Amino acid sequence: MSALLEANQLTKIYGKEYAVNQLNFVLEEGTATALIGPNGAGKTTTLSMLAGLLKPTQGSISLNGEQRADVRESIGFLPQYPQFFSWLTALEFTEMAAKLSGMETRSAKLEAQKTLEFVGLGEALRKKTGTFSGGMKQRLGLAQAIVHRPKLLLLDEPVSALDPVGRREIMNLLKSLQQNMTILYSTHILNDAEEMTDQLLFLRKGRLVEKGSIGDVRAKYDHPRYRVEFGSAEDAKTFSLAAPWHVAVEGTIGFIDIIQDMPVMSDMLKLLGESGLDIRKAERQTASLEEIFMKVAGQA
Amino acid sequence: MRDLIVLFQKEWRENTRNFKILWIPLVFIFFGLSEPLTSYYLPQILNAVGNIPEEAMFAFPEFTPSQVLMATMGQYQFIGMLVLILGFMGTISRERKNGTGTLLYVRPISYVSYFLSKWKVVGIIALASVWLGLLTSWYYTGQLFGSIPATDFLAFAGTYSVWILFVVTIVLAMSAWLPTGGAASLSLVLVLFVQIVDSLLGTYWTISPWKVSTYATQWLTGSPDTSDFWWSIGVTILAIVALVVFGVSMSKRNASKTKV
Repeated sequence: MSALLEANQLTKIYGKEYAVNQLNFVLEEGTATALIGPNGAGKTTTLSMLAGLLKPTQGSISLNGEQRADVRESIGFLPQYPQFFSWLTALEFTEMAAKLSGMETRSAKLEAQKTLEFVGLGEALRKKTGTFSGGMKQRLGLAQAIVHRPKLLLLDEPVSALDPVGRREIMNLLKSLQQNMTILYSTHILNDAEEMTDQLLFLRKGRLVEKGSIGDVRAKYDHPRYRVEFGSAEDAKTFSLAAPWHVAVEGTIGFIDIIQDMPVMSDMLKLLGESGLDIRKAERQTASLEEIFMKVAGQA
Repeated sequence: MRDLIVLFQKEWRENTRNFKILWIPLVFIFFGLSEPLTSYYLPQILNAVGNIPEEAMFAFPEFTPSQVLMATMGQYQFIGMLVLILGFMGTISRERKNGTGTLLYVRPISYVSYFLSKWKVVGIIALASVWLGLLTSWYYTGQLFGSIPATDFLAFAGTYSVWILFVVTIVLAMSAWLPTGGAASLSLVLVLFVQIVDSLLGTYWTISPWKVSTYATQWLTGSPDTSDFWWSIGVTILAIVALVVFGVSMSKRNASKTKV
């Protein structure tokens, strides 16, 4: 694997506001990277800079090791809310997109048709885009982004606006594209990120606060813990005082989190058994990406 | 340059499918028709409506053919300009505003092609409209008032075409630079307001793009001062080139303002 795109100290300042602040990351060829962060974290700004729409205030983007290349030749871009010329048909638009990205007239038409069928718009080739529903627009947006076989596919919230069925379908399309393209997509829906990701980039207030593979990030933030539910807050308190480990009690209903100094499961069960307390449930937990997200997003 | 052809096709489709290619020529043809007809039939019309004292009927001036054609151009200078400005004020700014431009700007297009594709299509529509309108007016003037030599007419319409191209280039350059509202306002100022200023204070100079339409009408009654005429045409063409360069660089600079 080699680096397809490298962002170096990428920064965008509006007035005095840092929309994006000194991002450093590498997109390896053939990988999928998820750009995660709360609203306003700078995801769209980052993608716009990579797409060549915005000029970075500072820092650089290099593609295949070249710094001043016109990145637009190698990318496909799907904005969050793609807007089409309502008076063009899906086929006309996709064909135009292919031609503007340098494809020959004949192959442009052929590829446009194939791509539209691939994204599930085979029935709507000759329909005006003005009549399209949100889901169809998203598919057309994907079609125009991949019709010219770009090396790098940039997607801004590709599935956020879709219903569960549409989301499933688009995610499957993206997964099948992953074999031929390097993909960078932003999302705040963590299940999607969990599904198709080699690398996570966490953005918060324009800063890259965490990056790495999903396993790495998990290992760093996920302190596995036991969660024991007692019959009463009283019992919970009793146990927290008696146990040799640090136990945090949450609320009066008797939830207990054992956070530090992980004991062996059997030791803990033994102690619980001997205590004679009213125990409802005991389980070992790993944090979901959602919880990791809250942790990373919330850190000061 | 291939992207110029592709973008030209896109613009052409747009203006065909939103019927600008139909209604804008129709407006110009309408005034080309109505001006000679109403001038000719005005006495009868007023007579039919009544309430005109008998002696006033003799006060109607007799129009010469060239006056009728000039009157047609006078309509174009106000209503025609409004149509061109309001019809094309959003050509570039609208694509930024509604985000349709985004999917063009992320492709390796040259902004020269982007601007010129629009300039060509808008120019073709505007010139075709003006010529169709003037030809209509010329024909009916010839039928009702007396003929105007074809050479005089061609010199007149040809000169006026330079002015039309100047106007169209202003509108597109403003649309590349400003949001639609600003583009329309500034175009109105540059085309209509400056023209009034130029005609009020313009006795102090003779070379100006805003005098080209006046020189155009002079072909119908004689011929304009050759030196002033050619200098004005030259200055106007230079201004068009400068506006195109400005429009291209503004299209490029403002591409980042497109809605993502």
